[in-house]
Amino acid sequence: MRNELVVLTDYVRSESGYEGPLDPESDLLDAKILDSFSIVQLAMFVQERFGVELEAEDLTRANLATLSNIVALIDRRKAGVGG
Amino acid sequence: MLSTIPRFLSRTAARLPDKPAIVSRARTVTFAQLQEEALATAECLRELGIGAGDRVGVCMEKTVDQASVILGILLANAVLVPILPRLKPPNIRHIMENSGMAAMVTDAERLNEVVGFGSLAKLIIGHGDVDKDWPNLPYMRRFMQRRTFFDRIASDDAAIIYSSGSTGRPKGILISHRNLADGADIVAGYLDTREDDRIGCVLSFNFDYGLNQIWQTLHTGATLYLHDLALPNDLFAMIRKEAITVLPVMPVIITKIFDRRLKLAGDSHEFPSVRYVCSTGGRLSVDMIGDLRGAFPRSKIYSMFGLTEAFRSTYLDPDKLDVHPTSIGKAIPDCQVLVLDEQGNECAPNVVGELVHRGATVTKGYWHDAENTSRVFRPHPRFPGETLVFSGDRVYRDDEGYLYFVARADEMIKTKGFRVSPTEVESEVVRHPDVVDAVAFAVPNIAIGEDVACAYTSKHGKPLSEQILLHFLKSQLPNHMVPAHLVHFESFPITGNAGKLDRKTIKQAAFERLGLAPPEAGSGPRA
Repeated sequence: MRNELVVLTDYVRSESGYEGPLDPESDLLDAKILDSFSIVQLAMFVQERFGVELEAEDLTRANLATLSNIVALIDRRKAGVGG
Repeated sequence: MLSTIPRFLSRTAARLPDKPAIVSRARTVTFAQLQEEALATAECLRELGIGAGDRVGVCMEKTVDQASVILGILLANAVLVPILPRLKPPNIRHIMENSGMAAMVTDAERLNEVVGFGSLAKLIIGHGDVDKDWPNLPYMRRFMQRRTFFDRIASDDAAIIYSSGSTGRPKGILISHRNLADGADIVAGYLDTREDDRIGCVLSFNFDYGLNQIWQTLHTGATLYLHDLALPNDLFAMIRKEAITVLPVMPVIITKIFDRRLKLAGDSHEFPSVRYVCSTGGRLSVDMIGDLRGAFPRSKIYSMFGLTEAFRSTYLDPDKLDVHPTSIGKAIPDCQVLVLDEQGNECAPNVVGELVHRGATVTKGYWHDAENTSRVFRPHPRFPGETLVFSGDRVYRDDEGYLYFVARADEMIKTKGFRVSPTEVESEVVRHPDVVDAVAFAVPNIAIGEDVACAYTSKHGKPLSEQILLHFLKSQLPNHMVPAHLVHFESFPITGNAGKLDRKTIKQAAFERLGLAPPEAGSGPRA
């Protein structure tokens, strides 16, 4: 598993107290693992931990609600590609 | 059935059958379709054995299906009991037992969370996949006739809404059909909600303010756009796409919408379609008002105030927001707000007394709780034969008659739009094996109302790892109840006589340790 995914998984578990299976494709909001407060925290964490700057158009549910989408977003931002 | 929500529905469905009533990401229903679904839902509930006056819980995410279920329960002559889906199982169990619930409607995805309650009430799926083991309303509706058998009169029970009290567990507030319809009519009147309005609904349908968005829609023929607020840019995109005209919020939602840590979409961060924003559940800060004006330059801003026992008490005329920014305004139409001293006499201007509410929105009392009902719902010699709500809130009136909120008589914590009872937080904290005692209280945080803080003592007399304690609490409590501040005490002071914890001294000491001004400072009236 990619390092980013491991880090994100640990973060989500420690923030939410959730201990069940965590599928990178599952929508963390729909699954009630994160709520609307903690998803914003997650966006902050992504910027700080991975040194990427997220633009306004990145900060949407579509980009941030699944771990695999976040990893893809980090890749795009590191490569300097637009949303 | 003059003043009832079912009457609003049938009237508007006849007048505007093809107009969209509710729009969500998944689907849209017109008023005629919504009426059809609600009638079919009522028929399903009757088929499932639900009778007049039976309490039916709704523990669902905000969807068009949830609105159909809510209306179907009313049309089935049953009593609606909304349950916040994020509640933990013991709290859900309390509401089911206390209300004597006959059935609970839930989402297919959440069934495994509540399946253990099957012995308490019949479980029914209101949204999601068909599972052969459970009755499924969206599926059953296809085979049902659409008959109207609604026969409640306006003073009959329509809903029980649970709200945390200062001690013990949440209390059920019993609401009549007339309360709902009159409340909706009063609010639509002073806000001037209209048929051509497009209401952006970020609120949930689990409390009076959120439910009233459905009633506003049915009453005026406006259209309701459902949105789950997670990231503000998604909300802004929805407001722009749907040309939203009305945005009901709470301070905690405003803070979320204008989160300073996030970049907000684009330069064109202005939404002139919004005609009014209304807010209740806490006071608006100068920053919040500024943010709202920046994003919604043509919008009026209504600051409103109330408690579930009387739905809504006051609102501030938007034109007075700059003159009296800290005022909660004046009484809503068809209601009167009194400021009474302990003898029951009206206080002079600038003298603090208790907010006492009389008028159409006074609810029927606490469900099966005569003691608390007689404490809060009382007569007053000036108004024979009438019941008033003695709110316990401390307020005063200025020389121009504008009201100002001072403090609550009890110690409820208002955080993120929720009323949190200190007792509920404490009872979870002390369940940690290394914790001995706990005292929870509010500390000011203007962004979200108040923060939950908790002082505790431990078995070893040493502080616990904050990370471990928080991890434990997060698995036990809904997020809004998890303390933002934990303060360790070697021991707690005890009051002289009864051997009770000296909460006042503990709170003062904790404030000092957190570097905050003493709890009582700044809560007096401002002249």
